[in-house]
Amino acid sequence: MKYFNSSISALLVSSTLISGYAASEVKISGYGSVVAGRTLDNVTLDNVGYDWSQPSSASNPPSVTREQILTADFYDVGQYSNDFSFKPETVFALQVVADMGEKLKVTGQLVAKGTDDFSPEFDWYYLTYQATDELTLMAGRRNIPMYYFSEFSEVGYAYPWMRPPSNLYWWQVTQFNGVHAMYDFSLGDYSNTISLFYGNEYSNDNKEMKYYDELYGGNAKSVNELWTDIIGFNWNLSGDFFDVRFVYFQNDRDRETIAQDGSIADYTPFSQEFLGFGGTLDLAMFTFLFDWNLVTYDDDHGTEFPTYLISAVYNLDDFHPFISYSKADHKRKKRTNTEDYEEHYMLSYGIRYDFHPSASFKLQYDKFVDEAVPESGWRYHGDSDTVTIGVDFIF
Amino acid sequence: MFNQYNKKQLSIMLTALLVGMLSTHSVSADIAVIVNSANGSALDNNSIERIFMGKMKKFPNGQVALPMNASKGMSSRDEFNKAVIGRSSSQVNAYWSKLVFTGKGSMPKELSSDAEIISTISSNQGAIGYIDSGSVTDAVKVIAKF
Repeated sequence: MKYFNSSISALLVSSTLISGYAASEVKISGYGSVVAGRTLDNVTLDNVGYDWSQPSSASNPPSVTREQILTADFYDVGQYSNDFSFKPETVFALQVVADMGEKLKVTGQLVAKGTDDFSPEFDWYYLTYQATDELTLMAGRRNIPMYYFSEFSEVGYAYPWMRPPSNLYWWQVTQFNGVHAMYDFSLGDYSNTISLFYGNEYSNDNKEMKYYDELYGGNAKSVNELWTDIIGFNWNLSGDFFDVRFVYFQNDRDRETIAQDGSIADYTPFSQEFLGFGGTLDLAMFTFLFDWNLVTYDDDHGTEFPTYLISAVYNLDDFHPFISYSKADHKRKKRTNTEDYEEHYMLSYGIRYDFHPSASFKLQYDKFVDEAVPESGWRYHGDSDTVTIGVDFIF
Repeated sequence: MFNQYNKKQLSIMLTALLVGMLSTHSVSADIAVIVNSANGSALDNNSIERIFMGKMKKFPNGQVALPMNASKGMSSRDEFNKAVIGRSSSQVNAYWSKLVFTGKGSMPKELSSDAEIISTISSNQGAIGYIDSGSVTDAVKVIAKF
């Protein structure tokens, strides 16, 4: 795999083969996915905007029938409906790494997504300082290392499925500006990396929160989602046949829902904790992937989101058929009714075929089952059956 | 009778398959893992794997390891990945893609011929690579064969 474009690096760098180890060097690489899909049917679900104070009528229906919708990318609100579409998940990213010598590098990742009509944005932009052989310091914009697959969730080539299960990777904030310290060490034959991180994300005009506001009948001009003092660590442990990661972080949460007249709705800030353990195991012909997570709010409801993923892949040369099950739940521990809130699972089957050294073809079927109690008002996703087909690549 | 014929046919097929596998094996050359002649490090298979997966960054003597890959599509790369790392080249590429695009590692350099790999390794003390064992010259030291 050539992670740098030789013609460009030849222009920028002296042509000595090992010059990169001694002098400055610019590497250009990238990844992308061309994916299309659609949902297969209609769904009838309770009307989340139903006015319980009024009698039900044609203008105030208790339930609605609409096309099935699968949210494949919550953060970017990439959704499949009955129309076969390339927009929800097609992505193209260009990474430029400039090694300035003296242990300092700068990395930028320009990402263009179908959900943004392919208008490119610098999603990643950070400095890396190799303080010692073991200690790496980074500062700038990166993904929050939340779930096991969070940091590379958009690099489709890196995992067997079309996407990490979207009913877990549902947060309205996925990136932040901050600092990281990564320390590598070995314990026998096991490699360890411990990362500490701290940062903030002021996500003004947050796309996902604006979507929810509209879904529940709101008319906000914009919603600002504020995650501050994000502080925590990752511990990554890997051996010959496994790679596991433990994560803990916490942060403060606040939100500004801005009405058309500019007024800001009241919101009670709270803090959240994120706990997770995930990894991959390679056993003979099988690869197993798993992730278990618990998000806890210190709010008045005692909100908790326990989620997990289990997946098995059968490796048959270049063919990798897989199955995965992911479950998400929402509990309110301080309420009388602790259970009846958002709840859903996704059962996915598919195959990855490595037809080219740098590209893989994927075909996937997702069955999304919305398990929220109809009267709860949380059954807003609705069941869906979705087929997606695509090619992931790296260069 | 029919059954016997079937068995016979099966044994012919099996023999043909075995002969085929043996002959394939005899023509396919071994892979030699090579280092700079001045590099005195002894490496077991696990250490070679860890160097090529970016998990071990130095030789036992403290020298920084510079792994060299054969370019994509060269059969030595597929054979090395299968024999030493135990995965297909695509799986190894997928492993690297998560490190490269999160700033946690750099893929080994790629060189496009055995001759280029030999000349690079002979002029860099920390370099390590693999070539078709038929291409080995005195300019480098073989530390393992697969």
